[in-house]
Parts: sequence; structure tokens; C-alpha cells
Amino acid sequence: MGITRRNLLRGTAAGIAVAGTGFSTQLLAGQKTVKIGLNIPMTGDYAPWGLPGLYGCNIVANNINAAGGVEIGGETYMIEPVGYDHGYDTEKAITGYNTLRHDDAAMIMMLGGSTVGSIIGRAQRNKMLVSTLLPSDITPDTSNLVAPSESHPLYNCTGVDWLADNFPDAKSAVIVTTNDIEYGQQSAAVYQAAFEARGIEVLDTNFHGFDVTDFAPIVQGLLASKPDIFCMATDVYTTPLIEALYNQGYEGKIISCTLDLYDEVIAKTSKEFVEGIIFQFPDFDDPALQSDDILFPDPSGFWDTFQKDYPGQWSAVAWEYPANLVTWVSAAQAAGSIEPMDVLAAMKANPNPPHVFGTGKWWGKDLYGLDNCVVGRWPVVTMQNGRARIVEFRDVGAWLDKNLDILKRKMQDLGLRTV
Amino acid sequence: MELFLQSIVNSLIQGGFFALWAVGLVLIFGVMGVVNFAHGELVMVGAYTVWLLHAQNDVPFLIAIPVAIIIAMMIGLVMERFLFRPNRTDPLAGLICSIGVLFILQVIAHEVGGTGPAKQVAPPFNQIVEIGESLRIPMQRLFSLGVAIASLGVLWFFLTKTKLGWALRAVALDREASALQGININRISMIAIGVGAAMAGLAGALMAPLQNITPHMGHNVIITAFIVTIVGGVGSLSGAVAAAFIYAAFHTFVTAYFNGTVATICGLLIMVVVLIIKPTGIMGVKVSE
Repeated sequence: MGITRRNLLRGTAAGIAVAGTGFSTQLLAGQKTVKIGLNIPMTGDYAPWGLPGLYGCNIVANNINAAGGVEIGGETYMIEPVGYDHGYDTEKAITGYNTLRHDDAAMIMMLGGSTVGSIIGRAQRNKMLVSTLLPSDITPDTSNLVAPSESHPLYNCTGVDWLADNFPDAKSAVIVTTNDIEYGQQSAAVYQAAFEARGIEVLDTNFHGFDVTDFAPIVQGLLASKPDIFCMATDVYTTPLIEALYNQGYEGKIISCTLDLYDEVIAKTSKEFVEGIIFQFPDFDDPALQSDDILFPDPSGFWDTFQKDYPGQWSAVAWEYPANLVTWVSAAQAAGSIEPMDVLAAMKANPNPPHVFGTGKWWGKDLYGLDNCVVGRWPVVTMQNGRARIVEFRDVGAWLDKNLDILKRKMQDLGLRTV
Repeated sequence: MELFLQSIVNSLIQGGFFALWAVGLVLIFGVMGVVNFAHGELVMVGAYTVWLLHAQNDVPFLIAIPVAIIIAMMIGLVMERFLFRPNRTDPLAGLICSIGVLFILQVIAHEVGGTGPAKQVAPPFNQIVEIGESLRIPMQRLFSLGVAIASLGVLWFFLTKTKLGWALRAVALDREASALQGININRISMIAIGVGAAMAGLAGALMAPLQNITPHMGHNVIITAFIVTIVGGVGSLSGAVAAAFIYAAFHTFVTAYFNGTVATICGLLIMVVVLIIKPTGIMGVKVSE
């Protein structure tokens, strides 16, 4: 068949159809199956915060299914994660929500932000349980929306606290982040509050868009003020930013929310340069995660399987969606039902809900208007000899109890919603 | 002073990239009358090729670059022969076809590289050139600037000093008159898109070690290329090059001294101001009906 305009157009249509279709894991014919939807970005700029989560859920579900499934209300269920790629597009997120709901998903997991905003009204009307990784999505009217595993970006306070305790000479900081309200500005507010709470002056905050093709001017502009600390609040561009810091011979402290694919950062800089970078997301083979008070099933085995099955794909969310899945399973077992509102009620009935890094507490009313996010302790991670390693766990809830007023002020200064 | 000097260097490097993006777009538009929306994806193809060959399969960077150029050029030639040429009398059809190619190339990139995190290429030249006590320029960026300027120089020589270049410019000025002079329009169109796509492939190959590589990286490229093209004067190659360096300098300085968001807003304002004051762009000429 020769290449003709008609054939190429057919190819385009097929490509678009493939891109817009949901992906699903293996079907388990003949078994009672409960589907857990993931309405997430698998393509586009936000893909690193979507797709690895589906991979992680597949691993957890396979482990549960291999062990014979999960017993809920006297029935044994197999778990089937079902993904839908919304590409961080609100219209597609609505389509994804409708598709997954009509596919009988018992819960729909999402990354958060505008895509959650586009579907949460429907979820309230449909009595659908939805999880987000962004507690800032929670409002007084979103009772069906929970953030049970990640308290982004609240946990960033722990890294700053640890830095201030261990490097008391670091007294000034600059912040760089994306200029979106959902991730960048929320995170910048937390970092600004955390720095202020520890007497560290923020010299400059550079908000940039997603159209940056050269990070050297941003980094050089920020370094002109000679900061002790360079902070990447929430940035999908940590690799080029750190590369620009390396090129400038920066010798101060670096703190970041995430450091995804740090092997590639090392390849672009050096092992010595990244040594000591502080961030918030551990590798799951970390020795500190192999203790009994970590409420994630077999973190080391999960890490090994992920690295084997999905090499080079690990990111901050690789364990967070699976953590939500684990939380859903335990709540469904407590409820004896897979009905979304029964599971939600069981989740909320526990005042000390299980959290990946130990038990936590329901929180959020004082900031977002509803206690629907779980805060607990969170790890502070540093780069040590080319690996991400936990140096300490710190309590996010205790920090919020002490510094909520500062955080509220910083959020309001940036025009962010608080109660 | 240190920041000022660094910003000048950054402006030149960015300007080199912007010029490579824009001249290809201008060349294709000038000769063929087609707004090639897939031009950014040709840049992406160049970057992906370097990632695939150099980062994944250890092919030397200096070999990966010409391969990237050839692949981008081949895609361009296929587009001309099978999409743009049959629709030469209908510019809208050409535009829609280029949007189709844009999607196809993105899907292919997804298939080749997977849908996960952005791809990275470690810089093959990782030395830092230090000038005085304050100026630090990575060799990779200097290399990119040098290749970009050399390529633009070769293009200038080709367009102004060779018969083929004259023919190409003649077709851009008046296609029918050129045909009457015996110039083979099909052949010139193939050369125009081949050169334009090669420039895009080269830009992508040079950018690969300097930024995140994703199937969607062409979006930023095409938007910037359009701004530069409009500011320079649609159809004017020298205008596009001048506008590329002016826009890069403006964007770099505003980013360094204010922030990235303000730079983006101001960059678009430049375009609006130019359109109000001189709708033909800084080096464009008004064509009478």
C-alpha cells in the first residue's frame, strides 16, 4: 500500500483514537472484580505525575490478586486498576470521569488541580469517591474528595525545617517554580512560610511558565542576589534547573520538592554536585522504609518490581496512587462494601487513618474548609553517594498547628484560596 | 555587571535557536505559501533522534546530529510530495495537513520513547569556559551557538550566492513569473522544505542536551517561531534572523531581571506593538494588490 494523503489521514485518525482511549490492565475473566479508576495524565508535561502511578497500581493489584484477592463484605474481589489518559485537559478529564464511572469504577483517583475541578461537581452528584494528590483541591463543598496519601505541598515544610536545624548558617533563599495556581504557587507559599518560620529571608521568587526553553537566565537572575539556599518549589524542570546551577558553579544548598530521575541529573552534572540536595520523595528500597511502622506493603519488593518492569519511569507519584489504592482496600474492608459512599464513611470514621509513613490525622478544615486530607509524618530525603536516602521523618501536622497563620498569609499574598 | 554579561551570552545562544526555528518556517511559507504547523514537531524529531541514537545507543553526538538533520529533512520531503504539492492551490488544506502531521509525529514520538517522564541527554561537551572571574559558559551552549551561526551563514551563502538560491528567492517573490522563466517549482519547493526541515532538525539536535525532550516540545517552538516570523516580517529571512536575536535578548533580559512570566507577557506585547506600528514586521515589505 503506497503512502497517500488518504492513508496518512487514516493514520492520523487512528493515532488520535489510540491516544484518547483508556488503557487497562489484564482482564480477570470469571472472577469478581472491583475496578479502581485512574483519571490521570499519561501524556504531556504532567505525564511523569500520572503514568508511573498506574504502573505502581498495577504492581500492587497484581500482588493482591496473586495472593487470592481481597475479601470485602464476605466476597472475594480481584483488583483491576483502569487508566484513562486525560493529558491534563479538563474536557478529557470529564470524558475520563464519565467513562470510568460507567465502567463501574469504585473510586476514581486523580492527580489534582483543574482536572479535579472539572469533574468534582459531577462526583458530588453521582456519589462517586474521588481521590486527589492536591489537598488544595478540597473545598467545603467537596465532601467526596479526599487526599489520603499525599499532602502536597504541605510536607515541604519538613525539608526546610530540617535544613534550618542542620545548616543554621543558611539565612537567605531564592525560590523558582512554575506560575500555575495548582502546583507552583501553592508550593511557593508553603516554602515562603517555612523559610519565614525559621528566620530565613526569601530574596526573590521567580515564577515561570511552561514555555521556557532556556533556564540559564532564570537561574542566573536568581543567583545574582547571592542566596545561601536555592529552592525549586514544584517544578517539572528540576533537571535543567540543576544543570544551570551546575554550570554557574553554585555552591550553596539546594532544596527541592521532587528530584525525579536523579540518575539523569547526575549524568548531566556530577555525583558530587547533587550530593546533599534536599527533597521529599524517597526511593522505596530505603532502609528507613523497611520498618513495621511504614504502612505500605513491602516497599522494597514494590521498588524492585517497579525498577524491573518499568525501568526509568519511577517518579514521585509512583507510590502515591498505589498508596491511595491500599487505603481504599483497607477502608472497603472496614466498610464491608465497595460502594463509594460506604468506603468514604469508613475512611473518615477512623480518626487516625493509615498513612504511608505511619498513621496520620484528617486535616484541612482550617485551611481548605474540610478535614478531607490526611497529614502525618513525612520523610526528609537527601542525595547521599548517588542515592536518595531518608535522613529523618518530621511531623507535617505539628508544623501546621504551629505555623498555620504564616502559611495562610503567604497563600493570601499570592491570591490563593484559604478559608 | 556579571548578570548583564551572562544575559548577553544567553541572548546570543537563544537567538541562534530562535533563528534556526524561524528561518525554516519562513522559507517554507515564502516558497510554498504553506503555514507548516508541524515545524515544531520537526524540531522535536531532531531532539528525539539524538536522544535515541546518542543517549540510548551510544552513537557519537557528532554523528547523531547529521542523522537527525536527514530524518527531519526526509519527513519534510514526504510532506511536500504527498501533502503540500497536491494541495498547492489551497493553502488551508496544506495547513490542515500539517496539523495532521503534527499529531502523527507526536504519536510516533510516544511510541518510540514511551509516555513517561521527559527524556534527557547528557551534554557531550561538559566543560565550562570561564572568562574572567564572572562569566561561565558551558561548552555545549557555545558549540550550539557556533553551529547555529555557521548554519545560518551557509544558508545566507546558498540563498544569495548560488543560482539555486536565487531561484528559490524568485519563487518566494512570484511563483508564476518564476515558472514562466523556466524555474521548476516542484523542485524548488522540495529544496525549500528540505532546507527548512533540515534547519528544524538541526535545532532539535542541538537543543537535545539542553532541555527536556517530550513529544509536545514543539508547541513552544512553533509559538516562538510565529512570534519571531511576525515581528521580523512574514516572508523575510533576514527579518526573521534579526527578530530572533532581538526577541531572544528581550526575553532573556526580562527573565533574568524580573521573571519568566513577565518575560512571556512582554514578548507577546512586542509582537502586538510591532503589528500596530508596522504591520509588515520590522523588515517586511508591503505587497501591493
